[in-house]
Formats: sequence, C-alpha cells, structure tokens
Amino acid sequence: MRYYILIFTLFVIVPSLFSAEKGKIEVPLRFDRYYSYAEVTEALQVLHKAYPELTRLEVVGKSEEGREIYALTINNPKTGNDLSKPGVYVDGNIHGNEIQAGEVCLYYANLLLTKYGENDKITKVVDKNAHYIIPVVNVDGRYHFFTDGNTPHSNRGLRVPRDDDGDALFDEDPYDDLDGDGSITQMRIKDPLGAYKVDPEDKRILIHVKPEEKGEFTLLGYEGIDNDNDGKLNEDGEGYLDANRNWGYNWMPSYVQSGAGNFPLSGLGTKAINDYITARPNIIIGFAFHNNGGMWLRVPSEKTTFMDPADVAAYDVIGKEALKITPGYVYQPSYDLYPTYGDFDSHLFFVHGVFSFVGELFQREQETYRENANKPQQVADEANLAREQLKFNDRLAQGELYKEWKKFKHPTYGEIEIGGWVKMSSRLPHPFMLPELVHRNASVVLLAAENTPEIKMEVFEVKKIGEDLHQVRVRLQNKNGLPSMSANAVKTKLYPQDRLKILGGKVVAGGRLIDARINKVTYKEKKPEIQFLSVNSYGVVEFQFLIEGKGEITFNYESAKAKGTSAQVKL
Amino acid sequence: MYNNLITVVCFFLLHLLPISSMAQSGITSGKYHTNSEVQQLLLKIQESHPSLLKLHTIATSPGGEAVTVIEIGNSKEVCPAIFVGANFEGDIPFATEGALGLAKMLVDSAQYTVGIKWYILPLPNPDASKGYFSKIRYGRKVNDFPINNDVDEALNEDGFEDLNGDGWITRMRVKDLTGSWIVSNKDPRIMVMADVKKNERGEYKLYSEGIDNDGDGEYNEDGEGGINIGIAFPHLFPKNNKEAGLWPGQTPEVYGIMKFIYDRPNIAMVYTLGSSNFCLTPPKTGRKGDPGSEGIKVPPRFINQLGADPARSYTMNEVIELFKPVVPSQVEVTPSLVYNYFGLGAALNPMEDDLKFYARLSDDYKKYLKTKGFNTETVDPSPEKDGSFELWAYFQLGVPSFSMNLFSIPKVKEEKKSEKADEPTVKKEGEELTDKEKALLSYSEREYDKKGFIPWQKYTHPTLGEVEIGGFIPYLESTPKPGMIDSLLNVQLPWLLQLSKKLPVISFASNKITALGAGVYKFELFIENKGLLPYPTAIGERDKQPAPLVVVLDNDTEILEGLKRTPLGRIGGNQVKKLTWLIKTAQNKTITVKLESTVFGNEVKQIKIAD
Repeated sequence: MRYYILIFTLFVIVPSLFSAEKGKIEVPLRFDRYYSYAEVTEALQVLHKAYPELTRLEVVGKSEEGREIYALTINNPKTGNDLSKPGVYVDGNIHGNEIQAGEVCLYYANLLLTKYGENDKITKVVDKNAHYIIPVVNVDGRYHFFTDGNTPHSNRGLRVPRDDDGDALFDEDPYDDLDGDGSITQMRIKDPLGAYKVDPEDKRILIHVKPEEKGEFTLLGYEGIDNDNDGKLNEDGEGYLDANRNWGYNWMPSYVQSGAGNFPLSGLGTKAINDYITARPNIIIGFAFHNNGGMWLRVPSEKTTFMDPADVAAYDVIGKEALKITPGYVYQPSYDLYPTYGDFDSHLFFVHGVFSFVGELFQREQETYRENANKPQQVADEANLAREQLKFNDRLAQGELYKEWKKFKHPTYGEIEIGGWVKMSSRLPHPFMLPELVHRNASVVLLAAENTPEIKMEVFEVKKIGEDLHQVRVRLQNKNGLPSMSANAVKTKLYPQDRLKILGGKVVAGGRLIDARINKVTYKEKKPEIQFLSVNSYGVVEFQFLIEGKGEITFNYESAKAKGTSAQVKL
Repeated sequence: MYNNLITVVCFFLLHLLPISSMAQSGITSGKYHTNSEVQQLLLKIQESHPSLLKLHTIATSPGGEAVTVIEIGNSKEVCPAIFVGANFEGDIPFATEGALGLAKMLVDSAQYTVGIKWYILPLPNPDASKGYFSKIRYGRKVNDFPINNDVDEALNEDGFEDLNGDGWITRMRVKDLTGSWIVSNKDPRIMVMADVKKNERGEYKLYSEGIDNDGDGEYNEDGEGGINIGIAFPHLFPKNNKEAGLWPGQTPEVYGIMKFIYDRPNIAMVYTLGSSNFCLTPPKTGRKGDPGSEGIKVPPRFINQLGADPARSYTMNEVIELFKPVVPSQVEVTPSLVYNYFGLGAALNPMEDDLKFYARLSDDYKKYLKTKGFNTETVDPSPEKDGSFELWAYFQLGVPSFSMNLFSIPKVKEEKKSEKADEPTVKKEGEELTDKEKALLSYSEREYDKKGFIPWQKYTHPTLGEVEIGGFIPYLESTPKPGMIDSLLNVQLPWLLQLSKKLPVISFASNKITALGAGVYKFELFIENKGLLPYPTAIGERDKQPAPLVVVLDNDTEILEGLKRTPLGRIGGNQVKKLTWLIKTAQNKTITVKLESTVFGNEVKQIKIAD
C-alpha cells in the first residue's frame, strides 16, 4: 500500500549540477565531474571494452526498482584464474547519497587498467591479485539522488517503503522540492518573534538572537509541505532500509538498529552482493566507501566483540599507513564512532573472513578560505565556519554549492524564503577537489592489494636420520602485511584452514617446528601428512617431517585466500 | 499411494462430520509421512477444495526438497491470519502430522476459517526430516547445506555408522583410564559422570556410534549437512553454533519463511508445533543483560550531552527524560530511539504485560486438558531454543506466539521420601537418575515394547577395540507410536482452534458528541477489543509490528484538534480506548469514520452530528 500525495508535481526533471552528460565517456575516465547511475554503467562498459582481456563485467543482481548492480573484475588470466589469487574487493555508494564513493571505485579501476604495463607497482597488483569492483551498491539511491530533489543526506536507503510515522501509510510525506531546483534546502519565514536574525557579516547566515534581542526569522526546516496533514513536515520520506544495517552478521531488528529492515539481507542488492562474495572465497581485503568525515573504520562495530591482537596488527599495517596517504583522516574501530549492527564491514570480517575497511571520504574542513589552510581559524565558532564555507562557495565553487535565499509562496506558511546548501554540497567535494580525493583513497586500496599475503615456501633442511628415514624441514614465509587468514577465522573455524600436504613417501611424524635451534617440535597425532596452518603478517611458520621412503616428495601449500605454492625435494 | 487414497477418502467422509466426532473417525492415516508424501497430501487436500486452499512453495531446501505452505480460508475481505509451523528441527515427525491434522480439521469445519486465514507449514526442514525415514536413524536435525563441521579438507566425510546393524545410532561406551563416566549404581543402563567430590573415578569414555572415517581422532564429527532450521532465526541467534549457520537466514528455508511472513502483514498470531510449549510455559524470563529490565548505563559519548552520571544506572523512563531537553522538539523520544543511540541490543525477556495473557491462557489450557481427562503428569517440555522460530515470532514479529509439544512421556510417580530415608546408606551414594531418564526407561518398558532402550552389547571396534553399544533410541521422547497419533491430536489440536478465537476483535463501541457552541463539537470515539489478546502485544508495540490500526475521519470534517488519521495505539484484551477530536461542522451533518487496518480490514461508521 503506497500513497503518494504530491501536491506539487515533481515531474520537472532538473539537470543535475555537476553531473556529466557533458560529452562522451572515454578511457581514461574523467574525475572532475560526477557520473550519474547511467554514466557509471557506461563508464564500466567503456573500461571493459577497452580492456577485454583484463576485465569481466557482470550483473550481480537487480535492485528493488529493477536497476542492475554491476561488478567489474580486473584479473590477468595469463597469471591465473581469479579465484586462485588473493581477492581485493572494493565497493561504494551503499548509501545512495554518498556518490563520490562510486567515483573512488571507478578511479581505482581506471588506475589499474590505464597504468597496467606502464607502472611496475600497478602491473604487479594486477598480475598477482584479483580485483572485484562494485562502484554503486545502492543503484536506486544513486539514480534518485541525481534526479530527485534531495538534501545532502537524503536518499540514503534502499527503495523499500516503510511507515516511519506510524499512521499505516508508507512514505507519504517526503521532502518536496518546492522551487524545483533539484535540491532540498531550508525554509525560513520572517518572524519578529523568531529565534534567529541575519548575520551582519553575511546575510545568508542566520544566527541565534540573544534573549533580549528582537528576532527576524524562524527556521522551518527542510523544504517541504505537510503532505499527509498530520502536523509534521517531511516525516515519512522514502524508505528507510539502510543497506549497511541489513547484513547477516549480528543483525538486529529495527527497534535496536534503525534501518535494519525486516530481516537479514531482505534488501535485494545486499542479498545479491552477499551471494557474489560467497562465490569468491579468495577475497581477503575489502573496502566499502562512504562519504563523511574522513575516517578509516575497521571492525568491531559494537563493544562486546573481542578482537584478536593479531588481527588488529594486520589492520594496523594498512590503517596506520592510510592515515599518511589521506592526511586528516582518523583510523579507529567503527564502534568508536557509534555502534552498529548488521553492517557490511562486520559481515565481511566475521562471515567471509575478509579484512574490511570503511573509508569515510571527504572532510568538509578542506573547504577553507584563508591564507594558510593548515592554520586553524582564529575564532572557530559556528558562524565563522559558515562564513568561511560560504566564501569558499563564492570564490572557489563559483556559487554552485549554495542556493541564495529566494521568496516562495508556501501553501501552509504563506510567504517564506527558500535557500541554503544544495544537495551536491557539504558531504561531496566540489568536482575540482575530486581528482585528489579519488587518487589518495584509491592509493590506500592499492596499498592493501600490495599487502595481500604472498607465501613463499622452502625446504630448508633435509637430514638422513635412519636407514630409510629423513628429517625434512619446511618453512612458509609471508612477505606481506596481511596474514593468509584472520586469527578470528581460525578461532571460529570459519572455513578450512590453510593446508600443507605432503605427497610421496610415508610421513611417520610431522608437526609444527616451534624452535629449530633447540629442536622443539609439536607433532600432529593423526594424519601428519596434512598440516593445518595460517601465516601471520610478515610471519614465518616452520614444519618438521620424518619421512620414510625415497624419491621425490612434494609439498603443496593450499589456501582459500593466499595463492598456493609447492616445493619438491628428492630423498 | 494406498495410504494417500485412504486419507483422501477419510477426508471426504470427515467433511460431512462436525468436528467433535472426529475423535472417533481418525484425522490422519495413523502413520508418519515423508516430505514427498506430505507434498502429495497437501496437493490432494488443495485439489479437493480449490476455492478454499492455495499452496505456496516458499523455498527449496539445499537438498532439493520443496518447502510448502498451505493457505486455508477464502475470505474475500482482509482478515487476520495465523501462521502455523511444525517440526522446524526435522526430528519431530509427530509435529508434522499435527500440522497436517490441523489443516484437515480446518478444511472439514468452516467455523474456524470465518474471518481468519491460516497458513500452515507442516515441514520447514524437509532435508532433516529424511532422517526419520532412513534405514539408519540418528535423530537428524540439519539440512543438506554444505557445512564442513571439522573444517578439514573434506566435507561430510565422518558421519555415524550403525555398527551393530540395529537401524539406530546409539552410543558406544568404552573402558578408558581417562574416561569421566561411570555406570549408575541405580540402573546399570544409565551412564553418569563420575563425581570427584564423592571420590569417584571415571571408568568409561562415551562416543556416538560409528568409526573415525577420516582418521583425525574424532568420531562422527562431520556427518551430512547442515543447518538446523529450528535454531536459525534472528532472535537470540546462536552465532557460535555451526549448526545455526553464520547468520539468520543463511539457508533458503529460513529466508523463505521470513520473507513469506513479512509479505503477509495480516499474520497476527503464530503457532509452532515442536518441542517447546508456550501454551503451558511462556517464553523464558530472567535472562541477564536485558536492557529493558535492568538499569541502563549511559555510554561515555552521551554523558556530557545528557548531563548524565556515568556511575549511575537509569531506567528507560529516566533516560527518555534526559533526552527530551536535548533533541529537537519535533523528535519524539521513544525507547526505540534510546535503544538505537545507546546500542543497547535486543530485548531478551518477554514483556510483563504479555506474560499476563500467557498466564491466563496457560491456566485455561490446563483446565482444558483436565476436562479431556488428559494425563498432564508428563516430562516437562523442552525449553525454547535460542534462534527458534517461536522466539522470533514473539520477539520480532511482535505477535502472540504459542508453541506446543504434542506429546511428552508420562512421568514416573515419585517414591516417597520417607522410604528413601529407610534405605541403607552404607554403600557409595548412588547417582540419582533424572526424572526424564526414569520416565524414558519406564515408557520404553511399558509402552514401547521394551524397544526404546538398546541394551549395551559388546562389539569389537576397529580403532577403539572392545566397546559396548547401547542407549536410548533417537526419536523416542517425541515420537509416539503411530497408533497414538490420532488420539493425541484429537486432544491437542482443538485447543489451537480454540486459541484462534482469542484473537483481538476490534471495532467501534460507541461515540459521544458534545456541542461546545458555534458549530464546535467535542467528538469522542470509543473503540473496543472484544478479543482476549491485546493488539499489538507489548513487545509488538516496541517492534512497531504488526501494522497499526488507524481511525480516519473523512475529508470534509474540519478538525480543530486531533488528526485526520489517528493511530489507535495499543489496546488490551477486552479493553476500550477513547479517542477525542475537536471538530467544527454544521449540525445534522454526518461524518464518516473509518477504522482502518491491514490486519483486521476496515470498518466504516456514519455518525450524525447533533446537539
């Protein structure tokens, strides 16, 4: 049951500010503008067409409104099947309004493909890793963010109607783009009893009046009307099902976690993407890009979860370096921001064994208008901040981020004014700042890809210790900063551990070599020819085998996430 | 096929009979049915009454079996529905028969489908249910979802073996110096843990029957499957139990059930046939960590903002008061907002108000059983499991959730304490058998032809050497002999039909119009709930589930105070709620008032304005 009571028609489609639709989409892609949903799709197709050998373009699933969710795989088949290599997963725009997250994904793809064969570092990660890129998770959200009237914060969720105000109607009182400019800005009304007056320095800003002062304005909130006549404005808009609270791990119902949806993975896109990731058990690192605050967030997302120190250390390898690549960001467990349940990063880590990061892109503090951007404002109060942001808008964004106040005749309030920050402001960098943002953040993904485990195996000692018996020592070494398995995956028996299998000869005894110098070994009681292991960040694991027989002995290392390897020795 | 034919014939005969006479004629074919038989039965029932019944295949199990719901009731109007699920764990075939029996009763008598729709799911876990019908039975509860229980290199490589060839997987006991079990000196069939406090030393190790197929030192640790549907729902999901899967709804049966139910907002009550019994004992209370019943600590990041004391525990109402001054006036501070902001986690204990109707109906059920001359001195029902369907239905769907174990073993009459005191106590203090063990042994002897317990017998095991195999057979405590099916169902199922009459019945009770002068009237409307159950339940109010009832005034009415659409809010069983508006209208005008609900349908009333 859906009721849309739209008194003001929203049929006028306003060309979106900053969206491309300005010329052909070609390789290399451009990052000085935002791509609409259709353009993101086109950009992916163009990339795939330009690099058919290295890429695969798939439809992961369809959204509630039937839009396709695309995944681009970058893998060099000449160096092996994608499933045999450590997988790097990158997505963005799970919240419909957080569009530059999609641009980071596109940029990462564009970077890998256009510099493959030219830049050694990039050539290496394309050859050794499989890259899975889903630029837009919430495809309906991105579509509607561009085409409909929105605030910078609206259109976050999936298109699943919900009765937010408890009147048994669904989504019947959304914002209304009264002035038809594609943005939902603020409404203010002249009011001598109001709590606000115009800032003497910048008349666009409203500041609180002091108790003894006369007011000039009352703020009426976001642009809209009381569509359902219940005395509240804009209180039952689209959704709300937050695709980033709808994942399976530690899912909690809506009264505990707002936006959770009715049950885990009830969102079509979340379900489809989970199936996609399940089919790629080689994924070991995952990035999900969002758009606010400048943060690298890791698990856990709620306070009761204990994190194994080895996993924290592995996260730190990426997180602490990332801080230097993206100055101004913080790196912290997402619980430190606020607790969440059913979030994607926890699902990735605790269900799929993937080291997962949330990248919160963009810090609005970068919108400065002062001589030394690194030097803080002398008086950093709210009004000063607003004045500076408006000057930034005027001088650097040529007025594109702010809608000047204009008179409007409101059906309920009468003569009012509408104006304020437009939807493409506040959480989105102006396109002139986009290239640096996408490059820095994609560089962090690249760093993580470089750090996916590479396990080197060597037989480092063979000693004859009996008539027909050899003592053989094998070393597995991880050259990189991410372990072959998370400690949590080992502890919770999430999936089969890495294995070292010995073929040929009879393994009389075999086990972990704890200390080669003092000959300390823990032998595995049963089936010594298969040893279970994982190799930590920059870690070393050694085994000792007592092998009866002669001839060629093969040691095979197999792992769900690290690339397998083998070694031979002749006894 | 023959059995099915009988069923269908019975069916037509029964159709002519009133429900009370069913006890004599039998409501099932007196046997347990496999999923393919269940599917055929459902199809035949449906075909016999195509206008009344619909089948919905809501999922396909990992083993390729259909999961089917039968919809009963052809009301054209919106009406409340009851969802009935049975045998979620797959090891209680009797519960499936109960669901089929209930479907037949409903088809045969129209009185319980007037204004109520039923959705009956007799077998949500068809893969596990195969266990009862297989040659070797071990009490299978998991489906065919691929789970590598021992996380080695092979899947499902170390299941049970019926070493003694009796068709049952029981236990193996083997003398072992490091064992922790001893033979009970009360009954040599029963094994008990050695008690160090009594200076006892263990003599045996216990294993399930089988061999170590994969040679890893563990016995039967990675058999077929899978996920247990009965513990895989989102409330109190047992995330550390591999047999629940990695998240609620990972397996298609659970996902399909949740989706089916949420797609039908008129589902207002849920029954579960299985091992717990909410008809007798309400959902468990006293769980620790429930944010609703214990004090709430304000998280550090809110301390300053709310001016709270970090050392103090607050009640929910106190926290709401702390929030009010700091949120914008348009925002309503609800417990839900506090739950979200503080990250408090889910409710764990049933709400006090809901326990009232559970208590009342439990008394009624006991009285009902007494009038039927039913032996209620039986082993207690199993407590509901974390992640169970019945818990989810109550805590997250927010509807009255009644579960029932259709059968339990009669208790053995307690020996008097005085006699016990007379016993010589010189020898070592004997281990007491549990009531359940006593009851099972006695039941096996007297009513199960002594076949419920496999006597310990020697066996030479390939790796363990000399062992003894024996123990209670699986399915014993929940699966009566097929001959008892009908008589048990004839007692139990009518109670579930009676319960359906306790659903809320919400309608206009009265109204009052007071003229205040100059065309202004105070309009008071009284809405009553004639049912015994509230709407929604107290937990449902928190869940905002199911959809609210709304009173709608027609468009022409000029409302001075109040809303055109007024949510009714929670209304208790047999209670009346008053709603008030201030309106301005001409005298003698008629206003139209609608009571609107996606659960109960709509009711419209014309009210004439007169001084």
